[in-house]
Amino acid sequence: MADLHTKICGVEFKNPVIAASGTFGFGKEFNEIYDISVLGGVSTKGLTLEPRAGNPTPRIAEGRGVILNAVGLQNPGVEKFLREDLDFLKSKGIVVIANVAGKTLENYAGICARLDGLVDMIELNISCPNVKCGGMAFGIRPESVEQVTRAAKNSLKKTPLIVKLSPNVESIATNALAAQRGGADCVSLINTLTGMVVDIERRKPLIVNNTGGVAGAGIKPTAVRMTYEVCCAVNIPVIGMGGITCAEDALEFIMAGAAAVQVGTANFTDTLVMPKIIDGLNRWLDAHGIADIGAVRGTLTLNG
Amino acid sequence: MKELNVKVVGNREIVPGIYEMDIQLPEDIAFRCGQFVNLSVGDGAHLLRRPFAILFYDRKRRVAGVCYQVKGEGTRLLSEKKEGDGLTCALPLGNGFVIREEERRVALIGGGVGVFPLLSVLEEYKDSDKHFRSYMGFRSAAYVDSFGAYDKRSDFVSVSTDDGSFGKKGTAVAAFFDDYEQAKPDVIFACGPTPMLRALKAGLKERGIKVPCFVSLEERMGCGIGACLVCVCRKEGGAENVRVCKDGPVFEIGEVEI
Repeated sequence: MADLHTKICGVEFKNPVIAASGTFGFGKEFNEIYDISVLGGVSTKGLTLEPRAGNPTPRIAEGRGVILNAVGLQNPGVEKFLREDLDFLKSKGIVVIANVAGKTLENYAGICARLDGLVDMIELNISCPNVKCGGMAFGIRPESVEQVTRAAKNSLKKTPLIVKLSPNVESIATNALAAQRGGADCVSLINTLTGMVVDIERRKPLIVNNTGGVAGAGIKPTAVRMTYEVCCAVNIPVIGMGGITCAEDALEFIMAGAAAVQVGTANFTDTLVMPKIIDGLNRWLDAHGIADIGAVRGTLTLNG
Repeated sequence: MKELNVKVVGNREIVPGIYEMDIQLPEDIAFRCGQFVNLSVGDGAHLLRRPFAILFYDRKRRVAGVCYQVKGEGTRLLSEKKEGDGLTCALPLGNGFVIREEERRVALIGGGVGVFPLLSVLEEYKDSDKHFRSYMGFRSAAYVDSFGAYDKRSDFVSVSTDDGSFGKKGTAVAAFFDDYEQAKPDVIFACGPTPMLRALKAGLKERGIKVPCFVSLEERMGCGIGACLVCVCRKEGGAENVRVCKDGPVFEIGEVEI
């Protein structure tokens, strides 16, 4: 058994495999299938100060190797999360990352202040493509990435801040640097790519919201490339995600420099995928005679 | 709720475009009628599983049956599965139908592929003191199926077709209301296309019928277990959503917007 322990911004993870926001709720449902205490961490469903009902349905569609979703940040609001879900996640002994979104700088600052010291990390969602006010407005231009990061960071005294970056931008590395300047302790990437699926009989987009966030195995090469670029650009830890379905996929991100990875869509295809990825990391490291996952992190070198 | 690797032990077209697939489970499950399985399509390109109502679960053989209509590429791929092929799934999912002890007379209303999930109710309560009256609706004679199973376990069965090519011309809902005074059900269970469920809801309201009525809903799903909030529907009279996969798929008809 290799050592999978990972430390990010002073927070200890028993392994670098984290459930991605929006695919795992607050962990209770998956815990009916397996004990989620085996995970490194969980990034919660995106939270806002007030409850949100989200978009009309259908909210999901499929392409080859990918899915599109437009849930639109439906969530019970931060107060209900604190009352009903946080204790459960904490009881599992895993790193609890609260994913948060807002409409305004004040919103972002407010929700961060409310959660400061109560969760292990906060992940700032400035890249939800599915709502007009999901923070995407903040996630595009480097100046606004820096601004929203600073607003969040200034309201946090204890909890480290992760900024989740959108891939739908001119340069994700430039935006990662902007987040770093704004005071981010860590960045995570990639959020979904904006896409559309057409119902040719109705000649209309299949998703009611017209566009949705593209995720799943098919986006992995894009996500690995962007993770590598960001790892080269910043000097804060990076959490990589996008299309990870197995340990080998996770290793691509880790070799590209990611401190940890998040797994999202693959949870829909196999509810046990995350424990399998953790086992697979152990097996791969053992088979290669490597005692510690830290020894492979950032070891990618480019061809000639 | 379990994640299981299952084996296809039967897959046949029962009426045009509609298949019954039987899957064998590696271990026993606790199944309640009206629950569903989220079944993989069995290739790497389709990441979403397909949710299907379970028609029956034979505990002795550990075999569960599902019915599906070929609508897109995923269901087409499933229709090509052969005996012995492997699939993966999560099951049993959702809440299911419950007949309370004081409820003796049960009305079953099924439209199209919606007739199949209600078979699990007849199966589960076959040795009980419950009395069933069943109303089945189909597009035309070519699609009529499962009449035998309904007939065997119901005190009364009505079959309707949209074009009148078999049984009564009309809908299952119309047949139910025609028979309502004779039936006087204690509880109503329904499954079928949205227009059918809407007609049922409107008809109950119009006639001031207050008998408990439960419907099984369908929605495009993500995880199928209640985590992703993809398959929601609106609670009646409020801004709140319920999850079809976890809070349902069976809802009291007045509880949700249809």
